[in-house]
Amino acid sequence: MAIVAERYTGASIRRSEDPRILTGAGRYVDDVKLPGMLHAAFVRSPLAHAQVRSIDVSAARDLPGVVAVFTGAEIEDMTVPGPDPLVAFFGDTGPTPEFTLLATDKVRLVGDPVAIVVAESRYLAEDGCDLVEVEYDELAPVASAAAALDPASPPLFANLGSNIAREHPRAEFGDVAAAFAQADRVFDFHIDVHRHQNVPMEGRGCVASYDPQTAVMTFYAATQGVHVTKMGIVMRLGIEPDKVHVLAGDIGGSFGLKIGVSREELAAAAASRAVARPVKWTEDRGENLTASGQAREESFDVRAAVSNDGDLLGLDVRMVVDTGSYPSMGAMLAGIVQAMLPGPYKLAAMGFEATAVTTNKAPYVAYRGPWASETFVRERVLDLIAHELGLDPVEIRRRNIAPRTEPPAVMVTGRPLVGVTTMESLERVAELADFPAFRRRQAAARIEGRHLGIGVATFIEAAPGPRSQDGPSDPEGMEAMRLRLDGDGVVVLFTGQMPHGQSHQTTLAQIAADEFGVPFDQVRVVVGDSDLVPFGLTGGSRFATMTGGVALHGTRQLKAKVLDFASHLMEVSAQDLQITDGNIWVRGDPESAIAVTEIARQAASGDFGPGVDANLEVEAAYDGGAGGWSGGTHCAIVEVDVETGLVSVERYIVTEDCGALINPAVVEGQIRGGVAQGIGAVLLERSAYDEFGNFQSATFMDYLMPTACDIPRIEIEHLETVPLDADVNFRGVGEGGMIVAPPTIVNAIEDALSPFGVRIYEQHLPPARILELISMARRAS
Amino acid sequence: MVDITLTVNGAIRTGSAEARKTLADYLRDDLELTGTHVGCEHGVCGACTVIVDGLPVRSCLMLAVQAAGSEVTTIEGLAPDGGLGPLQQAMWDSHSFQCGFCTPGFVMQATALLSHHPDADEQQIREALSGNICRCTGYQSIIDGVLLAARRLRQPAGQGE
Ligand code: FES
Ligand code: FES
Repeated sequence: MAIVAERYTGASIRRSEDPRILTGAGRYVDDVKLPGMLHAAFVRSPLAHAQVRSIDVSAARDLPGVVAVFTGAEIEDMTVPGPDPLVAFFGDTGPTPEFTLLATDKVRLVGDPVAIVVAESRYLAEDGCDLVEVEYDELAPVASAAAALDPASPPLFANLGSNIAREHPRAEFGDVAAAFAQADRVFDFHIDVHRHQNVPMEGRGCVASYDPQTAVMTFYAATQGVHVTKMGIVMRLGIEPDKVHVLAGDIGGSFGLKIGVSREELAAAAASRAVARPVKWTEDRGENLTASGQAREESFDVRAAVSNDGDLLGLDVRMVVDTGSYPSMGAMLAGIVQAMLPGPYKLAAMGFEATAVTTNKAPYVAYRGPWASETFVRERVLDLIAHELGLDPVEIRRRNIAPRTEPPAVMVTGRPLVGVTTMESLERVAELADFPAFRRRQAAARIEGRHLGIGVATFIEAAPGPRSQDGPSDPEGMEAMRLRLDGDGVVVLFTGQMPHGQSHQTTLAQIAADEFGVPFDQVRVVVGDSDLVPFGLTGGSRFATMTGGVALHGTRQLKAKVLDFASHLMEVSAQDLQITDGNIWVRGDPESAIAVTEIARQAASGDFGPGVDANLEVEAAYDGGAGGWSGGTHCAIVEVDVETGLVSVERYIVTEDCGALINPAVVEGQIRGGVAQGIGAVLLERSAYDEFGNFQSATFMDYLMPTACDIPRIEIEHLETVPLDADVNFRGVGEGGMIVAPPTIVNAIEDALSPFGVRIYEQHLPPARILELISMARRAS
Repeated sequence: MVDITLTVNGAIRTGSAEARKTLADYLRDDLELTGTHVGCEHGVCGACTVIVDGLPVRSCLMLAVQAAGSEVTTIEGLAPDGGLGPLQQAMWDSHSFQCGFCTPGFVMQATALLSHHPDADEQQIREALSGNICRCTGYQSIIDGVLLAARRLRQPAGQGE
């Protein structure tokens, strides 16, 4: 099954991950089985907000097969108090709520864990949970942002004093007052984005294995970064870093959910230490939907200053984000929403402020493009304004997008739009969709009573973002990699990236094989072992530039070292040597070829005396080079059945610029997967709570996921990119599809419903809501 | 505990299971065939699909004791010795999957589909696979893999694509 190509980078090389995945030989965390392993299950709160009056675990402890039961208070005694590890990791400052790993005095959401039962099997652990008696005194639930903003609402966290988790003070960019003074029209909109969630097909889980002999905690994780998980264990279990070993194998998706180590995983680790046996916890789907975390749920008051010609002169935006219980990342969201809100547009003035509140719902977690609502709001507002002014959606964007200039335009919030090709992508998508032809078809369909609509939306993604004066392009800093030529001649890359579907083992091998001059199969990419890989994590679409870049430069470094060593053996100058197809040879002399494997074998075999460095290993670090943006324009054509409210997506077109492609099939997979999640978010998915904070969507019968019948073929065209860097022009593509698909679909639905005068200020549009919007618009007219 | 004997991937396996144990858990824990995945445990996601007596079955909804006497095929049994069968090969060639967690379910469901309907067209494939959830791919690459496999299976070997 050898894979050979002239140049691997840029080709849709088949994935090296697939042979194991397609044969059932993948190793996911729930596949780990250790001798003496126990299974954990959690007792969880049935109430949204309550005081824990008492907890009786005696019957559970007596159940044969149950090895231990730990209450929240007992887990608290076994662990170290401290902030949420993820908040600490991101270096967030400001007031943080105080809470324990498992609930002790108070529960704050339906599904809040109050005790952990450890038993010989998961079946027995769940039996044990049924025997734990918890008495609660109900508190008034805080079930919405509006309730949380009421000073009379009972605070979830005593130390915060209210349900305001964080205020993001008003900031102004450009002359906001002047923009509004000079406007011909001022519009006010209230726009809502609903709560929905990551739902990887594999939930969270771990196997914690504490060895009392060595005092080493070995922790098998499903994580986006083994070192981030390790950091959490070190912090909260109080174990020295060199005694914590985190391992991860295949991971069944995440989309932001598994960035850190969860409260449940830390409790399982504490339990393993206490019983001195391995403990496995595998989240079931009910737990995953109820308690793992949810995303979005933001509302925006938007005021827009506009000229009669359709120039967007200024925006003034107030955001409220419902971060649910146990706020961590949600409280940090406002800064990036603010920074990204202008998008690729000329917008010259913007005011922004935000409030993050706590409510009795699942905690806010990162979900693919956590800040995505800025794109939803902006692209929705542009269409709403276009309707008011009688402009076409392409035309209003054409007027407002910053064209590519030298020097580049600068977003009003500060970052230069260097190399951004939004205008080109808009023009191209308009051509591919053929707007005039569509409008004719739409008019003809309307006569037959059919409602077609077209929508476009644009986005940019800082993946990693343009080079800044004062540091690496990517906000998370430098990317590290260790590289080595092993004794068997294989080029080995050790990366802190933790792929969970992104095909990193394939794409890094492509880059390294080309740069070193060996076949694809002669590169191995090692991930998922905290003893072997440098710090890193997969997230923020940072891989392509940051890790692709460090692989390229690191391989170059390693190759120089190997050539240096070979030059001693071959007694020629390193400058005269080259490597192709796995052979090292003197330029111009094919006879001289020696296999890389042979050089590697010799290096491993002996002592070459002083002056010869036979340790064929390097450590590399990369700052992102010139960096850059990715982005593009999406277009959807939908049909709305106005009798049933059902929406079908007839056509979906993507024009996209993510720089140079490492592996087009991988890139397109990322885009399509993101778009599917965006379509699901609009048409199907909602993490629903009732007014008492009861969770309403804890199964796949209630939380509806898009299927093969809901997602159309997605047409993708890659635009010729603007190279910014001498070597590394790969840019991240992980989040864009999910960021821009929701406004694209909503814009198309509004266009389809324009004969009814429907205006849409929200993101979730299941059939019942479509019918409501139509009847409301009918009543109003 | 109930004593059960079933044929799994061609081999006779004898053991015992608690009456409440699902076939999925029995395959994964007792027989250590972890290729079958559990994505919801309530019959919706299809990740746990295996073939029982020729038909695709959600192994999270079937008890191990109900499978006694049956012939079960899991993803590990599709091709000998870690190789790839024609559907798996076509899915590799089509970049069908990303994280791979849904994969066993899709592969088994599509195997059953192609064995009964080798001429299935795109719409039929989409409908047949609409009971399987994939969160990563948007489905197109999976559909393309099944279409490619169907095309290759219809074509005698050596006649190009
Ligand atoms: S695990 Fe059986 S259908 Fe989801
Ligand atoms: S490939 Fe990840 S769920 Fe399908």
